[in-house]
Amino acid sequence: MAPTEFPLEQRKIPLLAAQNVHRILGSGESANPVLRGVSVQIARHEYVSIVGASGSGKSTLLYLLGGLDRPSQVDAERKAFDPPSRVFINGQDTQSLDDTALASVRNEQIGFVFQFHYLLKEFSAQENVCLPMLKLGKLSRSAAMERSAELLKQLGLGDKIRRPANRLSGGEQQRVALARALANEPAVLLADEPTGNLDRKNTELVAQIFVDLASKGQSIVMVTHDGALARRARRMVTMEDGLIVSDQTPS
Amino acid sequence: MRWFITIRYLLSHKRQSLVCIAGVTISVTMFIAMSAMMAGFTDKFIIETVESSGHITIKDEPRETRTPILERAYPNPNAMLALANVKPRDTIRKIDNPTGLVHALETMPGIVAAAPEVFGDVIATFGTKTLNLNIYGVEPEKQISVTTIADDLLEGDFQRLRTTADGVIIGKGVADVLGARMDDSITLASATGGKTSARVVGIFRTGVTPVDYSRGYMLLSSAQTLLDKKNIINQIVLRTRDYTQAREYAAQIEGVCGYRTESWQESNANFLKIFSIQQVITYIITGALLVVAAFGVLNILIMAVLERVNDIAILRSFGLSRLDIGVIYTLQGLLIGIVGAALGLGFGKLAVEGLRRIPITLEGLIRSEGLLMSEHASQYYLSFFAAIIVVLIASAYPAWRAAKYDPVEVIRGAH
Repeated sequence: MAPTEFPLEQRKIPLLAAQNVHRILGSGESANPVLRGVSVQIARHEYVSIVGASGSGKSTLLYLLGGLDRPSQVDAERKAFDPPSRVFINGQDTQSLDDTALASVRNEQIGFVFQFHYLLKEFSAQENVCLPMLKLGKLSRSAAMERSAELLKQLGLGDKIRRPANRLSGGEQQRVALARALANEPAVLLADEPTGNLDRKNTELVAQIFVDLASKGQSIVMVTHDGALARRARRMVTMEDGLIVSDQTPS
Repeated sequence: MRWFITIRYLLSHKRQSLVCIAGVTISVTMFIAMSAMMAGFTDKFIIETVESSGHITIKDEPRETRTPILERAYPNPNAMLALANVKPRDTIRKIDNPTGLVHALETMPGIVAAAPEVFGDVIATFGTKTLNLNIYGVEPEKQISVTTIADDLLEGDFQRLRTTADGVIIGKGVADVLGARMDDSITLASATGGKTSARVVGIFRTGVTPVDYSRGYMLLSSAQTLLDKKNIINQIVLRTRDYTQAREYAAQIEGVCGYRTESWQESNANFLKIFSIQQVITYIITGALLVVAAFGVLNILIMAVLERVNDIAILRSFGLSRLDIGVIYTLQGLLIGIVGAALGLGFGKLAVEGLRRIPITLEGLIRSEGLLMSEHASQYYLSFFAAIIVVLIASAYPAWRAAKYDPVEVIRGAH
């Protein structure tokens, strides 16, 4: 998929943008500033990895970029940040959206993958993948089930589509989670340590899926501790103590 | 999608779901069975009372006691008034021009029939047994048009009052207490000195115990002689087209004729009050059962929320809003309520039919063969919707709690 397929005005707007983003957990004396003024832009079709030590704020940044969390607007002394702490998804200020509207944005434009798979264990693999499509409501249930089966087949799980989620191996569960994240053809795939809980074989399998997706034009932002996995991305953002300390695009 | 997730969640914890549903079902079943039983006794009492005693009774007295003459002369409430050795005038109480009044009443819209009566207390003696008896002097043809007493006869014929001199028809309870049978002669003595030997020409059973144990019917003229009330009519009994409207008719008639006019509701106000209290108690007991069932639902749904915190986080991550999450848990409560209440309606109906068939003779305020069960559509509607509403209220807290979870905190492992 080439960038030229998008209209010119859309190309000018970054897919994801963080503007002086702060995130303070807790309040008062126990306030913990996890992000301390991060500004970053992610363009369409980029494959970006975010690396950093534990507690550097990389997962928090990912959740904010995906609209799963909202940036703090004032500091510990109740003073507003200047410039305002904002996250934009496709040019849309997440601060201006209520919970339902933000949920719709996540449903339509974002695909999340987490370290601990988080499948709904009472549903089959196919049903897990189907749910975001049912929420979106563009496909009938049978069409959504068909597409789910197709996605699972593409990720090598064609023979396990009807298996309950809790009867799949760790690697298989992560691939189901990946299929679910891709179900609504999201603008961007946000992955938080997607291989952190997998053995070497499955890590390689999942890593290769990400590379394949990126090569097909899928925008991906991945948080990882795995240096080798991070280096497969076209751009690597390094965080330290709530700030971006480097933003490299390897030649 | 909400329904899809809701149904799957309920089916995946079948045992808990069934326990919740069973709780609701039991409370609805109990409500229907108990309220049908209560309504059965109430309805039987009302029908038997209304049918055997008439819908409205006009009595030979004004509703308000007359203002004493001195207070009429000196209306100032602060005036100190005193009278000594007052001797009230000995007036004969009666309804003036009863024939004209009966004719006038019979032409009133809504009034089907009217019957004049003379009423008084006598002492009945048969052998060594004595009993206080309320004697109603009646015209048989008119009486059977205002009450169904003729249909309640176990033995004899109401028209025999006409053909037998000093014939009396007594309640089954009276006959049992006195030990009298058909064609026995019982002695009736009034407080004014009248005495007669009356032949039992009929025995009735209305099913209302106070009536069956205290009432006797005689021919009007015989009763007037016995009670020393020659040519006196002291009450008129009316039958209306719709007995539920008796209160309105009574007020209307009283306004016109000036005599105290009691509807059957007013005459039996004490019993009706007891029935109302019993109904409230029934509602409290069955309501308590429903509340217990609702707590069961609350408990199980809270457990379900706690168990599925990770599910809530992932559902939120792929686009469900807080509202969606809240609705999913509310729908679980709604489904439990609907299924439980619907089953309760079925089991309630079965319970009513089962109880109706228990062979048991009850004798209290009313007498009945078997448990009296009276079904009203309102019992079914009320229990069905009350159960659903209570369960919905119970599911509101778990739903709110589920919606409140912050997915990021869950993913970070805070929960």
